[in-house]
Amino acid sequence: MNDAPVVLTCGDPAGIGPELAAKAWAELGAGLPFFLLGDPAHLPPGTPHVVIEDPAQTAAALTRGLPVLAHPFPAPARPGHPDPANAGDTVAVIARAVALVQSGRARAVCTAPISKQVLIDGAGFAYPGHTEYLAALAGVERVVMMIAAPDLRVVPATIHIPLSQVPSALTPDLLRDTIRITEDGLRRQFGIAAPRIAVAGLNPHAGEGGKLGHEEGTWIAPLIREMQAEGHAVTGPHPADTMFHAAARARYDAAVAMYHDQALIPVKTLDFDRGVNVTLGLPFVRTSPDHGTAFDIAGEGIANPTSLIEALRLAHRMTQTA
Amino acid sequence: MTSTKPTIGIIPGDPSGIGPELIAKLLNAEGVHEAADIVLIGDGHVWEQGAAQAGLPLDLVSVAQDRIGGSHGVVWVPMDTIAPDAVEIARVTEAGGRCSLRCLDKALDLARDGVIDGILFGPFNKAALTAAGMNAEDEHRYIAQYLGFGGHHGELNVLDEMMTTRVTSHIGLREVAGNITAEGVSKAIGLAEDTLKQAGKARPRIAVAALNPHAGDNGKFGREEIDILEPVIRAAQDRQKDVTGPWPSDTVFLKAIRGEVDAVVTMYHDQGQIAIKLLGFERGVTVAGGLPIPITTPAHGTAFDIAGQNRANLGATRAAFDLLVRMATTHRANRAAA
Repeated sequence: MNDAPVVLTCGDPAGIGPELAAKAWAELGAGLPFFLLGDPAHLPPGTPHVVIEDPAQTAAALTRGLPVLAHPFPAPARPGHPDPANAGDTVAVIARAVALVQSGRARAVCTAPISKQVLIDGAGFAYPGHTEYLAALAGVERVVMMIAAPDLRVVPATIHIPLSQVPSALTPDLLRDTIRITEDGLRRQFGIAAPRIAVAGLNPHAGEGGKLGHEEGTWIAPLIREMQAEGHAVTGPHPADTMFHAAARARYDAAVAMYHDQALIPVKTLDFDRGVNVTLGLPFVRTSPDHGTAFDIAGEGIANPTSLIEALRLAHRMTQTA
Repeated sequence: MTSTKPTIGIIPGDPSGIGPELIAKLLNAEGVHEAADIVLIGDGHVWEQGAAQAGLPLDLVSVAQDRIGGSHGVVWVPMDTIAPDAVEIARVTEAGGRCSLRCLDKALDLARDGVIDGILFGPFNKAALTAAGMNAEDEHRYIAQYLGFGGHHGELNVLDEMMTTRVTSHIGLREVAGNITAEGVSKAIGLAEDTLKQAGKARPRIAVAALNPHAGDNGKFGREEIDILEPVIRAAQDRQKDVTGPWPSDTVFLKAIRGEVDAVVTMYHDQGQIAIKLLGFERGVTVAGGLPIPITTPAHGTAFDIAGQNRANLGATRAAFDLLVRMATTHRANRAAA
C-alpha cells in the first residue's frame, strides 16, 4: 500500500492549471492526498493553501487548504497571457515531479496542461509534448496514450498526424508494441489480471474481406492471430463502428484504435467530461486531464475541473493496485 | 381536396429476416394509423408469417390500385414473388432476394405513379439481393438506377434528432483523404440540407466535421481543413446557410446530442457510424436521401440470429416510419402544389 500523495504539476501558469488545482482541492478536500508543485503566487487570489516543505506533510495540510510544494517562478502569472520567462520553470516542475515519484515521495504524477509553443519559444523545449518529455526523463523508448473514461478505455496506435498519413505510419511493430504496452499497463497499473484487448480495423467494416481495404487481411489479422498463439487475449480486427456500444464494450478491457479520432470519437461521445489521459509504458503512473491550457478562459473561474479531478482520482486508484 | 395525410408504402424486406415481424408490430403500434394511410406491398403469406411470428392480428384488405389513399386505412397490394415453402427463416436465399427486389420494384412503380408518397422497407439481405441478380453496389444505387435518376443521392444515418451524411463511404481509409473534394463536401452538405427540409426543418443547422485530429490544429496535422473545408463552409455561409465547421470530429457529435445542430457532415464511414451506433444501436434509421421519393429503413440488418423468435425490437422501424411520415408529408404537399 502506497501512502505517498499524488504530485500535481502546475502546467502553464497562465493556463487553467492553477485555478483547477484550487477547485480540485475544494471538491476533494482531505479525501484524496495530492499536492500542487508550483508557485503559490500563481494561485487565484484568496485560494486556501498551505505551503509544505515535504510531500509527507500533505495529509496534515489538506484539511486546511491546497498543499503546495513551492517552486518559485521568475514572473507572475497573467491568466491567458503566457510569459516566456516562466517557460523554463514550467519544464523544471515536470522534471522535479518525476524525480519525486521516482524517489517514492510521490505515488504518481498528474500533469496540468502546458502549451508546447510557449515552451518552444521560452525554453527551446525539444519534445513534441508532455508525453515524449516524460518518456525521455524515464529513459523509455516507446509509450502509449490511453484515454480512460468510466465506461471505456481506448488507445490510439497513431496520434497527432494527418489522416492521410495513418496507413503508412501504422506498422506491425507499432501495433504490436501498442498492444503489448497496453496489456502490461492494464495488468500492472489497473490491476486487471488477464487483460482483454480488442483491436479495431483500419478500414470501414474492417475491410470487408478485402473489398474496402487490404491492411486487415495482409497484416493486422495475421498479427493478432500470432499474438493469440503467444497467449495474449487480443481479438479483432473488429469493425470500428460496432465495437463501442455497451454490449461490445463488455467484452474487452481496452480497445486499441488505429488513429486518433477512431479512439476519441467514442470516448468523448460517451463521456465528454470524464475522459482522462494516461501514459502507459512509463515506470510510474502518469495521468492528465483531457484538455489544454484554455488560455481563452483562464482566470475567469469558469474552467470545468471534472477531468482534472478524474485524473487525480485515477492516479490515486492506479497506485493502490501497484 | 386531397388529404394532407401521406400514403406510405411498406414492403417487408427479406422474408427470411425480422422484417415481416417488425412490420406486423408496427401496424399494431400506437398512432401509426393516425399518422398515415398505409399500403402493404407484398405476398399475403409473408405478411401473415410476420403477424404469426409477432403473435399479432393482421387484416389484409386488398383494393384496386386507384382506390389506394384517401384515408382508406391499411390496404394491401397483393404480390406473388415467393412460394410459401420457399421462405426459409434465417437463411440467405435467392428466392428471398427475388421477393425483396420485386416488392421494391412494385413500390417504386407506385411511388412513380404518385399512388404512394414514401416507402418504408424492412431489412434487406445484401447477399440475397446479389444472388437474386441485383447488379448495383447497394440498394440505394439500385433504386436510383430503377428510377432512372442521375442526380446526387446517398445514404443518411439518423439517430433521434441527429442526422449524418458523409463525403466518402465504402472505400479504404487510404483512399479517404484523396477523395475529399470541395464538390463532394458541397454535395454532402446539400444532401443533409435537402433531407432535413423535407423532414420539416425550415432552416437546417449543419456542422461539418474535420478530417484530421484536432481539425488539423492550424495545418500542423493536415491541410484539408484549410484548403478544402473552410472555403466550402464560408461559401455556404455566404449563401446565408447555417453551416459551421470544420469541427474536431471527437466532439462534433456532442453538438448534435445537445441539440445545437441538426446534422453532421462526416468525411468518412467510421467517423459518423462510430458515434451513431454507440449512441443508439437499436434506434438508428437509414434514409435513401436525394432520390425523387422519400425512402427510409431501419439501420439494422435482417438479424438472422433472432429471426422468427418474436424478439425483434421495433424501435428503429418505428423511428424510420415516423421520419418517413414527416418527409412524405412534405413530398405530398410539394406534389400537390406543383
